[in-house]
Amino acid sequence: MKVVTFVVRRVLRVILCLWVVSLLTWTLLQFAPGDFASIQAVGGGTVGLAQEASAEQRAGLQARYGDDIPVWQQYTQFMAGVLTGDMGPTYRYPHLTVEQIIARAFPVSAGLAIGAVVLSVVIAVPLGILAAVRRRTIWDTGTMFVATLGHGLPNYLAGLVLVLIFSAGLGWLPPFGWRGPENAILPIVALAVSPIAILARYVRNSVLENLREEYVVAAKAKGGKFRTIMGRHVLRNSMMPLVTVLGPMFAGLATGTIFVESIFGVPGLGRYFTEAAVQRDMPLLMGSTLFFAALLMVMNLAVDLIYAALDPRVRASLNLTRTAEEALKKDGAQPAASTSTERTSQSGGTL
Amino acid sequence: MTSAEVTPSASDAGKPRSEMSRRIGRFRRNRLAVVGLIIVAIACLSALFAPVIAPYHYATLHQGQEFLPTGSPGHIMGTDILGRDVFSRVLYSLRTALFIAIVAELLSLVISFVVGLVAGYKGGKIDQWLMAGTDVMFAFPGYLFAVLLVAVLGRSTWAVILALTIASWVGLSRLLRAQILRLKSMEFVEAGRAMGATGWTLVMRYMVPGAMGPVLVSTSFGIPANMLAESGLAILGLGVAPPMPSVGTMINEGYRFVQSFPHLIGWPVVVFVLIMLAFTWVGDGVRDAFDVDES
Repeated sequence: MKVVTFVVRRVLRVILCLWVVSLLTWTLLQFAPGDFASIQAVGGGTVGLAQEASAEQRAGLQARYGDDIPVWQQYTQFMAGVLTGDMGPTYRYPHLTVEQIIARAFPVSAGLAIGAVVLSVVIAVPLGILAAVRRRTIWDTGTMFVATLGHGLPNYLAGLVLVLIFSAGLGWLPPFGWRGPENAILPIVALAVSPIAILARYVRNSVLENLREEYVVAAKAKGGKFRTIMGRHVLRNSMMPLVTVLGPMFAGLATGTIFVESIFGVPGLGRYFTEAAVQRDMPLLMGSTLFFAALLMVMNLAVDLIYAALDPRVRASLNLTRTAEEALKKDGAQPAASTSTERTSQSGGTL
Repeated sequence: MTSAEVTPSASDAGKPRSEMSRRIGRFRRNRLAVVGLIIVAIACLSALFAPVIAPYHYATLHQGQEFLPTGSPGHIMGTDILGRDVFSRVLYSLRTALFIAIVAELLSLVISFVVGLVAGYKGGKIDQWLMAGTDVMFAFPGYLFAVLLVAVLGRSTWAVILALTIASWVGLSRLLRAQILRLKSMEFVEAGRAMGATGWTLVMRYMVPGAMGPVLVSTSFGIPANMLAESGLAILGLGVAPPMPSVGTMINEGYRFVQSFPHLIGWPVVVFVLIMLAFTWVGDGVRDAFDVDES
């Protein structure tokens, strides 16, 4: 039961946060200069719909975009659309609805993000283990120095450096476009640079910490083979915290592709978001902002839940475990500790 | 009355200084951090004296001298599509980036000092409301908000500064609040309270100095983060208004020619990457010197 109430409370909190985000964004966008009609007039050349529209058609268009009703009604209408999966047409692409664009563009962004996460795990985990096992050798210092280099390079700068080397210098890969798999390589590597650095450091520290644990010392003392000790005791325990890093990392990557997509000309959701921002395409901006925020929050929630499921200590700190802990508490064995955890979980629970 | 309360801390004056010099010593032993600091100092000086150092104004057009390659006479880094001197433009974009980054960081420091101190010191309802506000802002990815803000306000230096400030005050506020909460239960603060220090004095004299370490660390990472965000926005076409140069704008304009004229984005990218790395090294050095956990 405790678990259910915990999950329900967290989900409610996510919904509340999303609602506030929607209000904030909507209010902000109301201050933007230009309404639907003027934006259509400016973009007339590319859009074409409003240019040849008669007054009658124009009124029809305004009704279609909901520009003929008060602002608060536009908001409620849009939010009803969010709930029913019908956010209406966008300004820039009158023939496509917001959810059609999200459905078309998000898989591209998610693909880049998944590729980057996979690539960074494949590279960073062995590197981190190597650095930890060969501590204070050239492997360790070298890896960690490269990690500091990568850590300070955000994805778009990494991408530009890659373009300068592999497109401008060597001419191996295209700098722009979205035609084949060769177009995805540079963006994915660019996205992976900083995660590789962070993960490698993280894995190294985690492995080092575990190598110092008493059960590892005991296993060594019993004459366990290095491989067995690493596989059974060290790695298993040091990989678990990765869950907490990988989840937010993926969420951050999926929403953080906007710069890379814009540089490499990848038609992902980030690029549509930027385009919408530059051209003040309100429905698309509103829709993609909410989508990004929801993605981020749901991912964070999922990570918290997975972590609680994996690690009994986390469950205990969230007051989710039953029996033994509660028995302890009733006995008053750790009154100070229990009250402090209660307080943190309460303050975490408000809002 | 306040001066009477302050005197006890005067006897402590020797201790913080030695603590500080110990930290400076630790920073100086970190070779990478010192190298970083030198690079950052050079960058700051050349940004400050850009009008003196730069051979041309950033918007001067040299007709008939478009797309000059690196190392051309009179143009060390070559010229761009409109015949503007790339070296001068790189210098001036550092000026833009540093100005925006520092002003935005100062503004967000002011906001988070108010929010963090009030929330941490007062506690109760005010704390809950302020923290609920930061919760929402945390859920909102900072750069999404920055993009939306610049889209609404239009391209200008102050729009970018405002966007960066709003995107960055949340983390710093939480940090300060946490510091105040930690310091609140410290013995020397209680001693101060026992000696009659109240409210403002207690916070400013006893707590704020203790919170400066983490704030300094966060600032040394915050300024390069702001510079990155500024050029990132400019790459998206949402930065400072042209012809004001920015690394992002130069990249945005030069990217089309990356294969034929790589120097157009090569120089700004190389200089910018170097400065960003230098800032990271300085930040790491400061963090290690102050024993602050990464959080």
